[in-house]
Amino acid sequence: MSKILTVIRKEYLERVRSKSFLIGTLLGPAIMSMFILVPVLIADKGGDDARTVGVVDPSGLYFESLDEAVADNGDDNVQLVLMGGTGTTEEALTDMKQAILAEKINSGVLIAPDFIDSKKATFYSKSVSAMVLRDEVLRPALNRVLREDRFAEAQVPDTLFAYLAASTVWSSIAVTPEGGEEEQDEEVGFIMAIALIMVIYMMVLMYGSHTLTAVIEEKSSRMVEVLLASVSPGDLMLGKVMGIGLAGLTQFTIWSAALFLISQQGVSVGGVSLDTAFLTPVILINFIVFFLLGFFLYATLYAGIGAMCNTVQDSQQFNFPLLMGLVVPMMLLSLILRSPDSTLAVVLSLFPLFSPVIMFMRVCVETPPFWQIGLSWLLMLGSIWLAARAAGKLFRMGILMYGAAPTWATLLKVLRN
Amino acid sequence: MTSATLELPPVGETILTLESVSKSYGSVQAARNVNLAIPRGCIYGFLGPNGAGKTTTIRIIMKIILADEGSIRLAGRPLDGGMRDRIGYLPEERGLYRKMKCLDQLAYLAELKGVPRKEARTRADHWLTRMGLEEWRDRKVDSLSKGMQQKIQFAATFISEPDLVILDEVFSGLDPLNIELLREMILEERDKGTTILFSTHMLAEAEKICDSICLIEGGEIILDGTMDRVRAAFPLQSVRVAWEGNPEPPADLPGVLHREKSEGSWRLTLAEGINPRDMLPELMAFGPLTLFSANRPSLGEIFLEAVARHRKGGRS
Repeated sequence: MSKILTVIRKEYLERVRSKSFLIGTLLGPAIMSMFILVPVLIADKGGDDARTVGVVDPSGLYFESLDEAVADNGDDNVQLVLMGGTGTTEEALTDMKQAILAEKINSGVLIAPDFIDSKKATFYSKSVSAMVLRDEVLRPALNRVLREDRFAEAQVPDTLFAYLAASTVWSSIAVTPEGGEEEQDEEVGFIMAIALIMVIYMMVLMYGSHTLTAVIEEKSSRMVEVLLASVSPGDLMLGKVMGIGLAGLTQFTIWSAALFLISQQGVSVGGVSLDTAFLTPVILINFIVFFLLGFFLYATLYAGIGAMCNTVQDSQQFNFPLLMGLVVPMMLLSLILRSPDSTLAVVLSLFPLFSPVIMFMRVCVETPPFWQIGLSWLLMLGSIWLAARAAGKLFRMGILMYGAAPTWATLLKVLRN
Repeated sequence: MTSATLELPPVGETILTLESVSKSYGSVQAARNVNLAIPRGCIYGFLGPNGAGKTTTIRIIMKIILADEGSIRLAGRPLDGGMRDRIGYLPEERGLYRKMKCLDQLAYLAELKGVPRKEARTRADHWLTRMGLEEWRDRKVDSLSKGMQQKIQFAATFISEPDLVILDEVFSGLDPLNIELLREMILEERDKGTTILFSTHMLAEAEKICDSICLIEGGEIILDGTMDRVRAAFPLQSVRVAWEGNPEPPADLPGVLHREKSEGSWRLTLAEGINPRDMLPELMAFGPLTLFSANRPSLGEIFLEAVARHRKGGRS
């Protein structure tokens, strides 16, 4: 036991004292917030460049109200230009087409002279991507123009019009298991969830592969035989995994504390303020548990693989399925978010390799039944136990194997032995 | 001290016993019914060509691999994981943590052998001084020359003050100056009562340092005993001869078991009972002699003869 502690201590201090740990601890949140905030900022600012739309309005009745409707809608980066002026419609159209080809304007729209009756508008563009502009900006704006003009034609009084044109005002309430209810800011909740999931994903991936390189390094530096003369392979592996895991937990704690402190200051970025209300005890506990379980599961698997390989290159073929275990859930993120309690989501979240990301994601967005959370913990613990046994075997057999790079066949042979 | 302290036998009595130890990898038998009794306080040569099964046997002693059969006893007790702390091991494939400081490295390895942390650091300091590396105490290993790294590895083997030390090809890759330094240290440790198992395929090296030896070939021990006993069992003699004009003596010269050309002369190994003097007339028949000397057989010659006798059947 004291030897495991010696190994843990060495592995822990070696990592915590390294420059990369310090840099990682400082830069990690910066990199992560970039991942999260950049899309938010882009979404906020509309992201794309200002676009100019040429409008051909033969009746001269609609341009101004359309321009107003677009501006009212908050689409600051879309600008409308009236084409043609006093010339004929044909001239205006030719002008517009040339301007599109010359890329002076992004696209164009022809509003039929009898628009109020025929409801006809024609969209001109060079590329298909302009469709977004048509559907998201021009269509609602023109619909509004049409509606307003028809109301005006029907001589509906302004007060009645305002009354009819009202739209719904929404607020969202999350129902808590205790039967209470709390108002939630969906956007903040969503961003916090993504942030926490990213932390788990990156930490498990980073520290898991640390274990792999640490084992391979010990092997390639021929240190391992010296060590095995003092420590059993199982203790060596356990000490390594735990030492590296503790280093990860240290970084994790520093970040969490920082996040907590910052969110208490009520910092807001890109119009979204960080809010501690999201960090309920359930989420916090699961955050830590899923990080730890996820780390131990992946780290033991990585350690076993490392013991079989002589170089990092050797390990790549085995690395792939493990990497998929972390990447696939990230790709399924939006699917799960849409229906977090579907059968598919439940099954996927119980699969131990996926649990750290998917079950935790479900915890963040809906708090699944406690038996499901508990079951996923148990399944992960069971898998860790199995992985440790398999890795111990691989360690014992593989650690002194040098020479040819291992294949799946040798791996299975050792495991079956 | 967490590790077991052993009640050691007096110097000269058996400290390590291997009984019918066997190990095979698939169809290859790496160790075949190995029996050994190593006396305390001696340098015991564990000799044989590459691939003879030396490293396998050593790894079995260190419990790094498990034997298929057989038992091992240290100071009369079956060897267990805790007792392993009393054995120092310097493997042939040895390394160091490149990014770790010399002192930390030695202290870590001592701690893994059960030396308490504070004591481990004191001893590490002491060993660095003994090796003339005190200035490198806080430097990282990768800034050391290869020779210095080997000294650190050597120190790491002895730092836990083990009762038995296993050195596998310890001199390989060392320059003569360092070989001399380490040889002195090995002798010093032996004189303190430490038992040294000295494994090598370089028989000439073993001849200079060992008190007792065993020869292993094809996973099997074919000869063992003190150097004196081994020599007595093989009263082989060899002569070194050279002729004017360097003629080549025939391969089937009567009374000659083996001939070998080196440094412009011929070394002839004589069959048992043949007196070098009796060979003289026959050798002079090839021409005027420029060199003639009679020698004791080298370990290498004894080894070749032992292999030949063993193949004929029966152990010597």
